[in-house]
Amino acid sequence: MFEWLTNPLYWTWIFQGLTLTVEITLFGVCLGLLLGTLLSIGDIYGGRTARGLIAIYVEFFRGSPLFIQIFIAVYTVPALLHLQMDHYLLAFLVFGLNSAGYQKGYVKGAMQTILDDQMAAGMSVGMSRWQTLRHVIIPQAYRIVIPSWTNEFCSLTKSTSALAFVGLFDLTSAGLSIKGITYQVLPVWMVIGAIYFVWITGVSKLMDVIYERKKIPGVELDLQS
Amino acid sequence: MTDCVMEAKHVYKTYCVKGEKRKDVKVIEAVKDVSLQIRKGDIKLIFGPSGSGKSTFLRCMAMLDIPDKGDIYLGDQSLTAKGVDLNKARARIGFVFQHIYLFRHLTALGNVELALRQVLKLPKEEARKRAIAALEEVKLTDCIKKYPSQMSGGQAQRVGIARAIARKPDIILLDEPTSALDPELTGEVIDTLRDLAHEGTTMLIVSHEMPFAKEVAEEMIFYDEGHVVETGPPSLFFNAPNTDRAKQFMTRIINRTTRE
Ligand SMILES: Nc1ncnc2c1ncn2[C@@H]1O[C@H](COP(=O)(O)OP(=O)(O)OP(=O)(O)O)[C@@H](O)[C@H]1O
Ligand SMILES: [Mg+2]
Repeated sequence: MFEWLTNPLYWTWIFQGLTLTVEITLFGVCLGLLLGTLLSIGDIYGGRTARGLIAIYVEFFRGSPLFIQIFIAVYTVPALLHLQMDHYLLAFLVFGLNSAGYQKGYVKGAMQTILDDQMAAGMSVGMSRWQTLRHVIIPQAYRIVIPSWTNEFCSLTKSTSALAFVGLFDLTSAGLSIKGITYQVLPVWMVIGAIYFVWITGVSKLMDVIYERKKIPGVELDLQS
Repeated sequence: MTDCVMEAKHVYKTYCVKGEKRKDVKVIEAVKDVSLQIRKGDIKLIFGPSGSGKSTFLRCMAMLDIPDKGDIYLGDQSLTAKGVDLNKARARIGFVFQHIYLFRHLTALGNVELALRQVLKLPKEEARKRAIAALEEVKLTDCIKKYPSQMSGGQAQRVGIARAIARKPDIILLDEPTSALDPELTGEVIDTLRDLAHEGTTMLIVSHEMPFAKEVAEEMIFYDEGHVVETGPPSLFFNAPNTDRAKQFMTRIINRTTRE
């Protein structure tokens, strides 16, 4: 049943697949945070047109399954543009853009709980709106958002299995390949599942530690009241 | 040239608030034709009923709210003119909030330091030195490492004052600096303000701390329903205000203070 585990080739595949899964998730969460923050700022301070466009963006990325978005990005977009595009690059971008759709909601929510008073305080000492966002609002909002990040990380990690559908070699693809050769369906998925589990749980625990370290004394109480 | 540190000329500010029904729009005239001059070293005190627009007027003075009509001057410079760098102007105005509004992710020291670094662009060492000096001035050297939530209201508000004075602004605007505090904590904040007053700090204060007003204010301004009803020295208000409204309000306030 588990003899295949001794074959180093399979481990190379697993390692290769896991690397893509990890890289694309981390990249997606980071790009998503950056874009999500910009979208939040645009949504709060932008005009009606900007807000409308942002709403469409968010609805698009939250309103359809990620694997369809990957499919469109990898097959439809290059065809429409008549361009040869690197599938990996496109997939990485889709993860970031998709995550931004969700993270915009988290970041904006966090910003709104602190915006009124902290913006007035920042402006009152002579900082510009942008300086206040950068030095006051965003540092506080990010600390509040850490638990939502953990969720975002978990859901993105699990979504990486969609990459197998477009021929990119993630952890699920590794499992499919090994299963195709060994025919040990259940054992293979048990091992692959366990690797997902260890990685996701490990990072979640790490995020909890970071949250405890970084949280602003007293602020989480403020949020509940 | 004026010798005014700050001046307000016929300032108006209206808020439109949506009513219960979608089409109901209530117009609140929070500030109606208010003019005021403050010279160097002046201490003026605004008082009046809740909801009369005192905070709104003070926020307009600092251009934290933009007046609909009228002019605000900081020295010779009009802040209501087009193209003014309001951030630069605000850097010269200290503001203390009724609900304190410290930066919650920063310690007392960080709160005072931030503008010194970001606005005055002082080097790290010097910013730190000046922040500590400002905290010494409000007698808070023992909790410079504490976060806002770890301080008492009185301590937090003194940090708020330190944050406002650290840039050595031309004037400090204080919006009911003690009204959010428990009565036993107002004393320490009032003491701090008294020290500032004795150093000749120019201040415009919204407050109902009458004994303090009597002691330090050159002029008291009775404010009701968006405009100035009566102005005069404290002696006028404590003896015989000219208007009935001021008379009634003084009676109420003095009764309330003595009952406490
Ligand atoms: N941002 C705002 N939007 C809408 N209405 C506002 C806003 N700020 C103040 N108002 C209204 O303007 C009026 C004046 O409010 P303001 O806070 O200036 O009064 P105040 O004299 O400071 O009262 P208090 O003593 O309670 O602090 C009130 O009716 C208030 O509801
Ligand atoms: Mg007020």
